[in-house]
Amino acid sequence: MRPLFALVLLLQAFHIGLANAAEQHLELVVAEPYLEMHSGPGRGFPVVYTVGRDEFVTVLYSRTDWYKVRAPGGQEGWVRRADLARTLLASGEPAPIPPYPDFSTHRWEMGAGYGVYNRQNLVTAYGDFGITNSIDAEFVVQQALGTLDNRYVTSIGLRHTFMPEWKWFSPTAGIGTAFQYVEDKVPPAPLEKTNQMAYVSLGARGFITRRFMWRADWRHYVVFNNLNVSEELEEWKFGLAVFF
Amino acid sequence: MEIRLSSILLAAALLSGCSWFHRGEKPPAQIVADEPQAEPSIIEPQVNRREVKTPKIKAKDFELGAYFGALSIQDFGTNPIYGVRAAYHVSEDIFLEADVARSKAGLSSLEDVFPQITVVSNSGRQFTYYDLNVGYNVLPGEIFLGRGRAFNNALYVTLGMGAVKFADEDQFALNFGVGDRILVTDWLALHLDVKDHVFESTLFGVDKNVHNIEATLGITTFF
Repeated sequence: MRPLFALVLLLQAFHIGLANAAEQHLELVVAEPYLEMHSGPGRGFPVVYTVGRDEFVTVLYSRTDWYKVRAPGGQEGWVRRADLARTLLASGEPAPIPPYPDFSTHRWEMGAGYGVYNRQNLVTAYGDFGITNSIDAEFVVQQALGTLDNRYVTSIGLRHTFMPEWKWFSPTAGIGTAFQYVEDKVPPAPLEKTNQMAYVSLGARGFITRRFMWRADWRHYVVFNNLNVSEELEEWKFGLAVFF
Repeated sequence: MEIRLSSILLAAALLSGCSWFHRGEKPPAQIVADEPQAEPSIIEPQVNRREVKTPKIKAKDFELGAYFGALSIQDFGTNPIYGVRAAYHVSEDIFLEADVARSKAGLSSLEDVFPQITVVSNSGRQFTYYDLNVGYNVLPGEIFLGRGRAFNNALYVTLGMGAVKFADEDQFALNFGVGDRILVTDWLALHLDVKDHVFESTLFGVDKNVHNIEATLGITTFF
């Protein structure tokens, strides 16, 4: 129980620190006839206040597609992203509401998914950096859970997206190097506990909504070992990711 | 060289406080005597550029917190569980979540009846899991406390997978759950969750899916 309380206290302290750090807020002028403020950050929440044209609102922070704003009279509410994008800066320029990252040119990706590795259930998590629009560097950490052993696999590789401008489905291919650690469950113990590996992959990616996307991947691994037979493994996986 | 010379001359001009030294004429002595603290005549422009820097809008899409509750480990009784949770809200409907939690199993009914039998060693009674989930806010809305208070809340469902370590073995586990997030303020949330962790176990000799249902109360902050 004590660590839980300590954690909660820490979280509160962290939050207060963050809140104090952000003192300066963006001020925007309503350019449309009125700006609607909802009671919560969601499409179903009722409108609780409206701000008229030429009045200033203070933008406090955002959550997903909604912006918490303060009206001149101190009333607070949530404004839809599309509505806030139609307001102006005091100088008359359009409000600096950042656009969504473009899927075909995005740089960063973080995701996780399910797969099958060497006929074992696989839990996978990955990070991805776009070097160009069509070439990514990917870093993957995964755990394969089987009946005979559990394996931890990390890999680093390069991936090419053939048609980055195809939004809903775009094929990919990649190569890379990997490292696996075998944790024995049932005797006999594996001959080698750790292995260096290399892989080739084929896959696809696609856009879902906002900054949300999917990826599917098939990989063929060659395990470098000191045994007489070379070992080859197969893996497929499906994951969901967010991109920035 | 020229620059250095001219800067020395300039310094000298400033020190003497004379406006026409640069013309090469000597200043009249009485001027120096009359105005010993005269301001340097070289005007330094006091132009402060207005910084046009629009403050950035802070996105508070991450949620971090802890939870505590009861976990019913199949065949091993119900025991306290505590864990930590992190979530990222992708849109107003969808969020991604990761949990890590730990509990300790009690005695199975077999061990209760026959105390000489040990199914799981003492260290194996630690029940630890991690999971990665996708959540969907099915029923967002407001709840009311009396007349004057309304809290935003959302009933959500989660589906995910991860690993459970129990009886000194890691097992692949699926989980599904339903929960409610009540926002006490816009940055502080209370969670009520019920979640089932399903995995395959051969602990009692036969292969079977075991269901481990947890009911937890959590607290998270948005940042």
